[in-house]
Amino acid sequence: MNTKFKTLFVIIAVSLLTACGSSNTPSGNAGAVTLTLAGYSTPAEAYAKIIPLFTAYWKAQKNQDVTFETSYAGSGAQSRAVIGGLDADVVALSLEGDVTNIAKADLIKRDWQAIAPNKGIVSTSIVAFAVRKGNPKNIHDWADLAQPGLEVLTPDPKTSGGAQWNILALYGAALRGKVTGVPANDETAATNFLVSVLKNVTALDKDARSSITNFETGNGDVAITYENEVLLGQQRGQDYEVIIPSSTIKIQTPVAVVDVVSDKHGTTEVADAFVKFLFTKDAQQIFAEYGYRSEDPDVAAATAGQFPAVTDLFTIDDVFGGWKEAKTKYFSDTGIYVQAISEAQK
Amino acid sequence: MTTTTPSLAIKDTPHRAPWGRWGIKSAAFTYLIVLLLIPLSVIFQDGLKDGLVNLWGSISLPIAWAALRLTLWTSALMAVINAVMGTLTAYVLVRYSFPGKSFLNAIVDLPLAIPTLVTGVMLVVLYGPQSIIGGWFKDQLGWQIIFAPPGIILALLFVNFPFVVRAVQPVLESLDRESEEAAATLGAGSARIFWQVTLPALWSSIASGALLSFARAIGEFGAIVIVAGNIPFRSQTAAIYVFGEVESSNRQGASAMSIVMLSLAFVLVLFVDWLRKRGRKERTA
Amino acid sequence: MTTASEHSTQVKPVTQHRGRISSPIDIWRRRLLIFIVITYTAVLILAPLVGLISGAFAEGLGGIISAVSDPAVFSAFSLTLYIAFIIIVIHALFGTTLAWVLVRYRFPGRRLLNAFIDLPFAVSPVVVGYMLLLLFGRNGMLAPVLDLFQIKVAFAVPGMILATLFVTLPFMAREVMPVLEAFGIEQEQAAATLGANGWQTFWMVTFPALRWGFIYGVILTFARALGEFGAVLVVGGGIQGRTETATLFIFRALDGRQYVGAYSAALLLGLLSLILVVGTEFLRRREK
Repeated sequence: MNTKFKTLFVIIAVSLLTACGSSNTPSGNAGAVTLTLAGYSTPAEAYAKIIPLFTAYWKAQKNQDVTFETSYAGSGAQSRAVIGGLDADVVALSLEGDVTNIAKADLIKRDWQAIAPNKGIVSTSIVAFAVRKGNPKNIHDWADLAQPGLEVLTPDPKTSGGAQWNILALYGAALRGKVTGVPANDETAATNFLVSVLKNVTALDKDARSSITNFETGNGDVAITYENEVLLGQQRGQDYEVIIPSSTIKIQTPVAVVDVVSDKHGTTEVADAFVKFLFTKDAQQIFAEYGYRSEDPDVAAATAGQFPAVTDLFTIDDVFGGWKEAKTKYFSDTGIYVQAISEAQK
Repeated sequence: MTTTTPSLAIKDTPHRAPWGRWGIKSAAFTYLIVLLLIPLSVIFQDGLKDGLVNLWGSISLPIAWAALRLTLWTSALMAVINAVMGTLTAYVLVRYSFPGKSFLNAIVDLPLAIPTLVTGVMLVVLYGPQSIIGGWFKDQLGWQIIFAPPGIILALLFVNFPFVVRAVQPVLESLDRESEEAAATLGAGSARIFWQVTLPALWSSIASGALLSFARAIGEFGAIVIVAGNIPFRSQTAAIYVFGEVESSNRQGASAMSIVMLSLAFVLVLFVDWLRKRGRKERTA
Repeated sequence: MTTASEHSTQVKPVTQHRGRISSPIDIWRRRLLIFIVITYTAVLILAPLVGLISGAFAEGLGGIISAVSDPAVFSAFSLTLYIAFIIIVIHALFGTTLAWVLVRYRFPGRRLLNAFIDLPFAVSPVVVGYMLLLLFGRNGMLAPVLDLFQIKVAFAVPGMILATLFVTLPFMAREVMPVLEAFGIEQEQAAATLGANGWQTFWMVTFPALRWGFIYGVILTFARALGEFGAVLVVGGGIQGRTETATLFIFRALDGRQYVGAYSAALLLGLLSLILVVGTEFLRRREK
């Protein structure tokens, strides 16, 4: 009978050791390398197409096999995960502030915005609306979102980067006087407008992707989201329409190498090469195919037809002085958003 | 069943346990300490490290408080409905025979087999505003099911359905029918027999099942994350609140709410245990 | 109407009041109650299940087959089964030991500990995941130790195993304990007096009697482990191919508009658990 006990013990020990082992060693043979990419919720499809191009390129260049492991979730949630222990070599997040937080946690030691082209901003989009076919509720601009009885979908700013862009786009447009009925440069009026729109929100999904797929199942009259999400959905057969408000924010999504992690894995060289690759014409072309407005002048010129011009396009620096200020003022525990959402429930 | 002699303690008898008494005990205790006690104490330590005042501060934030209130009343309402319908279901399964009875009996366990996440998805498909049923409720009665408390209660009812049924069923099955028969011969109608003879014998099992489902409902996540709308004050439960706090690195908020939920869970579990013991004692008396 | 009904003291589901003639009211009441219960169960439990099945079959059987041939599905299910297997082995060993200790020994705090075992039933899965993050996260309490040994627990499979171990803790002990209690100690004592040592007694006398409690415990543990979601979501990180279980795959597939894939995987998962639970019940009835 002691043998039964011994065998059980051996089974458990072996299983536990394999479990520990498999999560530590990279897969594949010696010389092969694994890169972990933590992305925000929407670019999964674009990266699915870009990654094979990169692995082929890298194989040709250095004769090394690269396997990618990917995880996609709300930008804030991903940032928290990386800080909390998710060993990502590369992060592709929705807003610079989420990357800054990772840097503040001492996981990015280099000046990531100086290393990568275009200050690390790999793709851009704008905040837009998805409405039902035929636009039955006649949504044309921000002011229409406050109409009583309308059902609005937007994600939760706590976990979603897209949600934060949405709120700032709304607020920025209001401050710039582009929202009918809201005087310019009037913070109280802008906050009141935010409250009136938040009153119409029926669900706060955890990230932008869940929000738009929620919209697709038939909930809500309008979804505030990334323009690229609406375009992608249309490509996938959805029959909703995209409405671009007269004034909206330019969404600048960064990518960065988490050098402390990649140094530990010995993958910094590959990671840097991958980030650089994202700025090449091939990769930028793919981003454009998936609805992103490219920063690359040639690709932008070539795809200009897909993307209508925005009457009043502003950036986070223009109106809010950058992400650090914006996060503190709007999205902290006592920020304007929290006050507004509480106010909206009264 | 013949009465069993109560299990005698090891130390009363000449009995040699495998591995030696000390070996077994330490294995069992280590198992519990590593898996249960250490994780639980970590949360308490984290939430209390800034003091009770700060903990209270985090909990009494309007959003946190609202989440807790919503969780408590939806879970309580669910527990009450579950107690009634669960008892009824157990009664029907034990006392009556009808076509499809064994199918019904098997269905009772279904919620245990389906991942809670899937439950949530199915409920949205069935009762969401764009569905036939959900749409009707919304247009005709102005009631919203999904993304509102009714959806939450529905999800909780599904997930916790087995608990009252399976708590009451065995008790009902082994109930001594003498008292009921006696009441019948004295001219009592079926209804009266049920209310005054049967039900009192069942109450502790109903209560323990209902309380267990209440305790589970407080922590429910997978079904709720899909079905509730996560709107603070309106459709955000305590568990979803904790999720949001964890995902946005707000340790104070997450730990504070977790401590409250854990303490509640612990008290409820103790209560359930007491009820079970009491029920057993009453039945063997 | 007679009182000389021979109702037995045996445990048997009684299907009608014996020795009484059912009045029309009784018959109608019976029908009404059965109707209410069937309607409630159909609406609450069956309807969502039917919805799930029809969602999975939306593109026919071919759709299901192609959906589950996705390599991501395979790796997700492999991970789920792998974790479940480890869970079973650990709980089978330690859960039975725990049950034994709680039933056969007396010590201060025993009752409290006994109640304590039910706690995982009532703890929210998010809280479970969070507790493990506090312990094993990058800035967690055990971080220095983990760094020393280069072990990754959070955002890796060991963390998910620990999370699942926590939530499945009660099942084994709760199924085995009542059987141990009812079994009584006399046979074990008899075996001891006949010269059997501890091990022999356990394997040849106690364990056979425990058999069904043990099997039930294993099955319930397994079914619960298959469906674990909240805790592994928080502590796992959802890395495709590495820390994505079946439930996390379903979660991701829903967001990625892969509805047939999500529903098919859900159906598969549900069927697996259901077959085990119902199958065990069936076998146990047969044995009786």
